[in-house]
Amino acid sequence: MKRVNTGVPGLDEMLHGGLLPQTATLVEGAPGTGKTTLGMQFIYDGIATHGEAGIILTFEQFPSQYYHDAANFGWDFRRLEQEGKLRIIMTSPEVSMAYLEQAGGQIEQLTHQMGARRILVDSLSHFERLAADPVHLRQMIYGFINGLKREGLTAILTRENSALIGEAEGPDENIPFLVDTYILLRYVEMESSIRKALLVLKMRGSDHDKDIRQFSITPRGVEVQSRFEGQEGILSGSPHRMAASFIEAFVRR
Amino acid sequence: MNDDLTRHTMEDIDPDLLDFLKNKVTSFVKWDFIRFFHENPHTTDTAENIARYAGRNVHTTRTELAELAASGVLTENRLGDMTVYALVNDPRIRELIGRFVEASNQRDFRVKAVYHIIRSMR
Repeated sequence: MKRVNTGVPGLDEMLHGGLLPQTATLVEGAPGTGKTTLGMQFIYDGIATHGEAGIILTFEQFPSQYYHDAANFGWDFRRLEQEGKLRIIMTSPEVSMAYLEQAGGQIEQLTHQMGARRILVDSLSHFERLAADPVHLRQMIYGFINGLKREGLTAILTRENSALIGEAEGPDENIPFLVDTYILLRYVEMESSIRKALLVLKMRGSDHDKDIRQFSITPRGVEVQSRFEGQEGILSGSPHRMAASFIEAFVRR
Repeated sequence: MNDDLTRHTMEDIDPDLLDFLKNKVTSFVKWDFIRFFHENPHTTDTAENIARYAGRNVHTTRTELAELAASGVLTENRLGDMTVYALVNDPRIRELIGRFVEASNQRDFRVKAVYHIIRSMR
């Protein structure tokens, strides 16, 4: 089956070639982990490498912020917008959802006019203010994701996780069930420094790499590197060497 | 006396911009929203959300957006149970807005525009 490359070195290998077309991927992480950068890279790669127009739906940041941030990686989003290959829309979840529900709405028009194939929704966390009831919230997000798929879009949806280090429960832990692919970005404290870890927790309809990999944000964007060797407890945010834990386990006996 | 001063102050402004200023930009909040939509030309949203983006009071925002829609700068549409605002598609108006925003970055024009708005608000 054809894959949709993310354009993130190392990540496509983890995804066994890339995302599946017309699927929704949740990229979740703490502030500053690189969710938006990863999403922008996905959109830029679609335009620059595959000739696929893209949409960025932002619920918080102004388009000027994306122009600025993208320029740091050499991606000229302003020019791509002028060329009709990219559209950055600042709106709200309720309005974008209402447009998706009606025929001929904004997103439908854009997919037809621009031939958009990719979308970044930044971020899904803003839906949480629309419904206090988790069941209602789940239904809303489910409908929204299906609307994007119906329009033929392959979507990356970001979600904030308030925990800088260690486990954190989001307001609605049902959301990962609604998406096809679930990528987690985490901070890891190791040897008196903070590193970043990436893990593909789920990929519906495909096998994927189960390693927890290091990644960094370089002048070219996100780059996924090698797995954490000889460490365990990485998702706790404070890993320890496997030998030490082995000794610990041994001593306990 | 004041009328003479205004006439003298405004007479060297581009007539199209002067007309736009007199008929569309009748308050500082409208000026803010015109700039907002110029910088975010693809935004379609409710008055409540636009107020949040612009850091303005919702009640004032509602009134000012409705007036901008009535004067042809914005469109006002029903979307489900919401009223949403967006920049008009008319390329002539968009070009005029672009010229207005560009001109308002120049101190000389800005001073005159501020003077005009203060006077029209009396």
